[in-house]
Amino acid sequence: MQIESTATFRLGIDIGGTFTDIVATDANGRVLTKKVSSTPRDYGLGISVGVGELMRDYGIRPEQIVEVVHATTVATNAVLEGKGAATALITTEGFRDVLEFRRVRVPELYNLDYVKPKPLVPRRLRFEVRERMGPLGEVRIPLADASAVQAAQRIAEEGAKAVAICLLHSYANGDHERRVRDIAKEILGPDIFVTCSHEILPEIREYERTSTTVVNAFLGPVMDSYLRGLRDRLLALEIRCPLHVLTSGGGQMSVASAMRKPAYLVESGPAAGVIAVARIAKQANLPNVITLDMGGTTAKTAIVENGEPIKTAEYEVGAGINLSSKLVKGAGYAIKLPFIDVSEIGAGGGSLIHFDKGGLLKVGPESAGSEPGPVCYARGGIQATLTDALLVLGYINPQALVGGNLALDAERALRVFEHDVAERLGRTAAEAAHGILSISVANMVRSVKSVSTYRGRDPRGYTLVAFGGNGPIVAAAIARDIGIRRVLVPPSPGVLSAFGLLVAENEYEFVRSYPSELDVLDASTLKAKMDALEQEARAALAADGFESETVGVQFFADLRYTGQAFELTVPVPDGAVPDLARLGTAFHAEHLRTFAHHAPGEAVEMVSLRIVARVPRPVLRHFAHAANSEKPLAHTRDVYFGPAFGICPTPVLRRAELGPAPRSGPMIVEEYDSTCVVPPDSKAHVDGGGNLVLEVGA
Amino acid sequence: MKAAHAIDPITLEVIQSALSSIADELALVIMRAAYSNIVRDSMDYSTAVCDHEGRTVAQGLTTPVHLGSFPDAMRHLADQYAGQIVPGDIFIFNDPYGAGGMHLPDFYVIKPVFADGELAGYVATLAHQCDIGGIAPGGMAVFAKEIYQEGLRIPILKLFEAGKPNNAIFRLIEKNTRLPKFVMGDVRAQIAACNNGEKALLGLIGRYGLADYRRYTEELHNYAERLIRAEIAALPDGSYHFEDYLDGLGENPERIKFHAALTIAGDTVHIDWTGTSAQVAAAINGPMPTTNAMCYLAVRCALGAAIPNCEGYMRAIKVTAPLGSIVNPREPAACGARGIICFRMFDTLLGAFAQILPGRIPAANEGGSSAPHIAGRHNNKPFIVSGGLMGCWGGSAQRDGQEGISNPGANLGNTPIEMLEARHPVEITHYAFVENSGGPGRHRGGAALSRGYRLLADEAVLIMRSDRRAVPPYGLDGGLPGTPSWNIINPGPSQRILPACPMEGVAMKKGDVFVHIQAGAGGFGDPAERNPEAVYSDVLNGLITASYAADVYGVIVASDGIDHAATANRRSSLAAAETKSSYLRHFLASSGLN
Repeated sequence: MQIESTATFRLGIDIGGTFTDIVATDANGRVLTKKVSSTPRDYGLGISVGVGELMRDYGIRPEQIVEVVHATTVATNAVLEGKGAATALITTEGFRDVLEFRRVRVPELYNLDYVKPKPLVPRRLRFEVRERMGPLGEVRIPLADASAVQAAQRIAEEGAKAVAICLLHSYANGDHERRVRDIAKEILGPDIFVTCSHEILPEIREYERTSTTVVNAFLGPVMDSYLRGLRDRLLALEIRCPLHVLTSGGGQMSVASAMRKPAYLVESGPAAGVIAVARIAKQANLPNVITLDMGGTTAKTAIVENGEPIKTAEYEVGAGINLSSKLVKGAGYAIKLPFIDVSEIGAGGGSLIHFDKGGLLKVGPESAGSEPGPVCYARGGIQATLTDALLVLGYINPQALVGGNLALDAERALRVFEHDVAERLGRTAAEAAHGILSISVANMVRSVKSVSTYRGRDPRGYTLVAFGGNGPIVAAAIARDIGIRRVLVPPSPGVLSAFGLLVAENEYEFVRSYPSELDVLDASTLKAKMDALEQEARAALAADGFESETVGVQFFADLRYTGQAFELTVPVPDGAVPDLARLGTAFHAEHLRTFAHHAPGEAVEMVSLRIVARVPRPVLRHFAHAANSEKPLAHTRDVYFGPAFGICPTPVLRRAELGPAPRSGPMIVEEYDSTCVVPPDSKAHVDGGGNLVLEVGA
Repeated sequence: MKAAHAIDPITLEVIQSALSSIADELALVIMRAAYSNIVRDSMDYSTAVCDHEGRTVAQGLTTPVHLGSFPDAMRHLADQYAGQIVPGDIFIFNDPYGAGGMHLPDFYVIKPVFADGELAGYVATLAHQCDIGGIAPGGMAVFAKEIYQEGLRIPILKLFEAGKPNNAIFRLIEKNTRLPKFVMGDVRAQIAACNNGEKALLGLIGRYGLADYRRYTEELHNYAERLIRAEIAALPDGSYHFEDYLDGLGENPERIKFHAALTIAGDTVHIDWTGTSAQVAAAINGPMPTTNAMCYLAVRCALGAAIPNCEGYMRAIKVTAPLGSIVNPREPAACGARGIICFRMFDTLLGAFAQILPGRIPAANEGGSSAPHIAGRHNNKPFIVSGGLMGCWGGSAQRDGQEGISNPGANLGNTPIEMLEARHPVEITHYAFVENSGGPGRHRGGAALSRGYRLLADEAVLIMRSDRRAVPPYGLDGGLPGTPSWNIINPGPSQRILPACPMEGVAMKKGDVFVHIQAGAGGFGDPAERNPEAVYSDVLNGLITASYAADVYGVIVASDGIDHAATANRRSSLAAAETKSSYLRHFLASSGLN
């Protein structure tokens, strides 16, 4: 492909465990992709190699690249591996153990050998200052400066590189935290990273606020050096354009902001895929969407409604893969910041097949990963995996994956599968493989339910959007099980997350604690509060280089029935003064939808006020995916579709061979980065946006 | 081809996952919609899905103490309403005598589910209500002598009859609690959970048909039974005995004995409580459903195997207890604060299992949640500050006991201090680990916690349930017992020490501070074998003082680290008796109790 010298490109770079995906788009919607191996010891190296190759392949000059957007796993890994900075905590006298008490519940029952996560700040680095605020922000004991001086001196002696400051009730009054910060900075100097809790999370609940502040401090120095290194690597390629980073909530931040608030970056990778789907859903006019992102080790699901991903503020990093994470807390480190609500389970191509002590067949959650990998990779894997079962079924190409770059040994996989699984079940290999698929599907159905039915939503009215290397293989089976009729597979599904980076909006969310009963709240007081919050948000965006006119804002209120502990977030109605009656009505309706009951007579209270300020992206309606020019395959293979259909000779096609007219299954659509399985009772077509659309049989 | 009646292992797995997710879904709805902090923060509630005979087929992941509490309740329900259950009914009850309840604060709200006009199963919820009237706020007055003093007692009634609410019951409940808004809100959350769960269960049954659904749930019971029997069969046959104690009640406590005989015979376990003290004239008696629940829980914890929460596994466990004992009391024994004996039964059973599975069972934990209630009126509104305090675990063969962790028998959460202070007229003075606490050992017991409450209202009454002062948590394998618990009003020169379980409400005035120091957990293994580096790390972290390290472990800490020569010297002459006497002395001095 020849690139004209006037074209300008934006780059999306997504690092995964195995691959680093790079996607470039120009103003005409042309999409170029590149997949290179990740370099976990120094992720920047893989990026540098991949971007360099992409530029060489297409003859792109550095000045043609006008923006780079990045999703990173560095923050997550630093927490998972405990490789953040040596961090100290300064807190109110009497409360240095709040961080270690956590919420005291443990996520595993009946396990007398359970070990809770080690606190990110050991007790010896947790210091107390003499001061006390009340819940209304009233000073009960003034800050004793000497105690802050002493704490800072001890921190200097201990050699900590980051400091988290979290005092009781600072969400209501940050004066003491600011004073402690000033004292600490003066004593510790400019090289020590300092975070105040009222700046990162001005919300009630001391454990969650302390933990969030500590995670931010713990990540600060690490992310600072990573982002600096990345910027230097891009500069070495003479790329001088702005570099942005995706947040866990799906917005973008400048590198400068990200360095101050790295806790926002913890789940930026999974967020990227959901953002891409949100954009596709908007363009395809799909009001209700469930996303399914399935790779080698995990499957992730999320909800997109009216083009907006559903978010949560209850997140734990390092909690591992836990479907019931909403119910069972304590496995990881709490971060109470906006996250796209992604449910993640251990179901991927590498999931290991085994029998438990009671003789029950299980798939995962343990995974063979990419090393040693499934048996068919012939890299030393000896235990059958889901990918091997898919191979036995004929779902995936028996010769090679990733456009021929990954050769497979189908015979070896079949041998191991027959001996270890099929014989023990007394079934044929194909029957056993179909059973394995059913179990994986059941697991993933739980994941889908955890974002839908668990939240009071009926998934049957939703479209399932499948991506990742394995999502499109299992999507139809999942859809059928849960009663979803329509599956959509976007173009380049295997690199969709990187693509999502290029459609993410610059988005900032600010929250202020604002406790008040709704029926005594004065609308003009609320309006004044909203105005102040808006100014703050606009200032932050301006600092990142976004001018005021392009910024759109929307207000939300966190509401609950007085006495409840969990809030529902409801948009504040537009208007010169907010219409509080309408706000109340909207809350009752949302409560009814989420919990199947409401109490319109009950008092409603507001807990916090939120503002989301965003800079929209220019809307590109059409993308031309370079990968779509793959040659037709023109062959069929035998595929086993379960007892209902048996073995079917199944055509193997390219996406480009399908048009707007639905074609009946069975068929398999093979692409460079993914495979889509269309069962016999389903139909498939390609819509105007290049999406592969499946109508799944009942 | 397979025979039509065969069990397909794949379908079985799918149905098991689906039932678990319905039970979890019930729990989530309650958590998010509930009003009281005891439900939404402490998460003192449980949920279950039962089959048409009322047998539990799945339980939500919530409170272990409630494990196995549904079977007795469901049996009573099925007996009393045989032939009278219709679609749209929702039952409510709390009575421990004749309804299968555990204590009055635990409200059961249960909905039968009908498919094809037939009773197909039940969705069941149980939530601890924050106040149900009675002699003292909070429903856990230790000093209640009969159940009649403990508040509203509800036999098994239809809260909804064929879909129609029975308003008389709603109004009766509302009039019998000090906190109607919270109790009614929590009951509504339970109803919402049942209605949601019913829909989900019907969806599942619809997919497989009622006949197949029943066949598979039956197989789930058999599957769970097979699993547990295989685990039990691997244990050596024999009878194992263990005794543990509650301190007793009031100013002059008399010890209350728990004696468990644990008999392993082939693939069954029999637990017998003969030799346990008689029921008492206080609210700490545990009706049989409670006792059963704790036995199931202890067996599960000891085995450590992943066994689904199906009633089938209970077939391998037999529990007996003499009628009239504290673990199987006669009506009308009071039982509001029976939680404390749950924990002691758990400790007793684990002590017995420690003989069967040496190295697998840790030394005793803190002994269960301490339950302070501070109640009164402020600005003309009633308030009750509640929320159990926990906890720490005993040392084990593998590692030190952990501090700041829920008792494995309860797994309740704490309430955020900022929420407590925003809603109630109290100020928390501290919430911290206690210096020089816990039992010494090769692996030490977890450090005790302490919390203080300063009253900001004019006056209030304190009701306290705690234990483990006279009989601290046991050590194992040569590890020493944990440190005792204390209740103190206004710590300092003129402090007043309260009993572990005061037999009356204690008056508090504005400015008074109530401090609870919980028991520290037991140690595991000989303290003389404790790694000096571990001792030093505890000194650095401020968990023990340098002089404690020297006196208890013989580890001499200098300004730049361990003084190895002095340590070797001190350790060679350190007598076990010295360790034993000095650790308590240090603990008491640190807490101003000497």
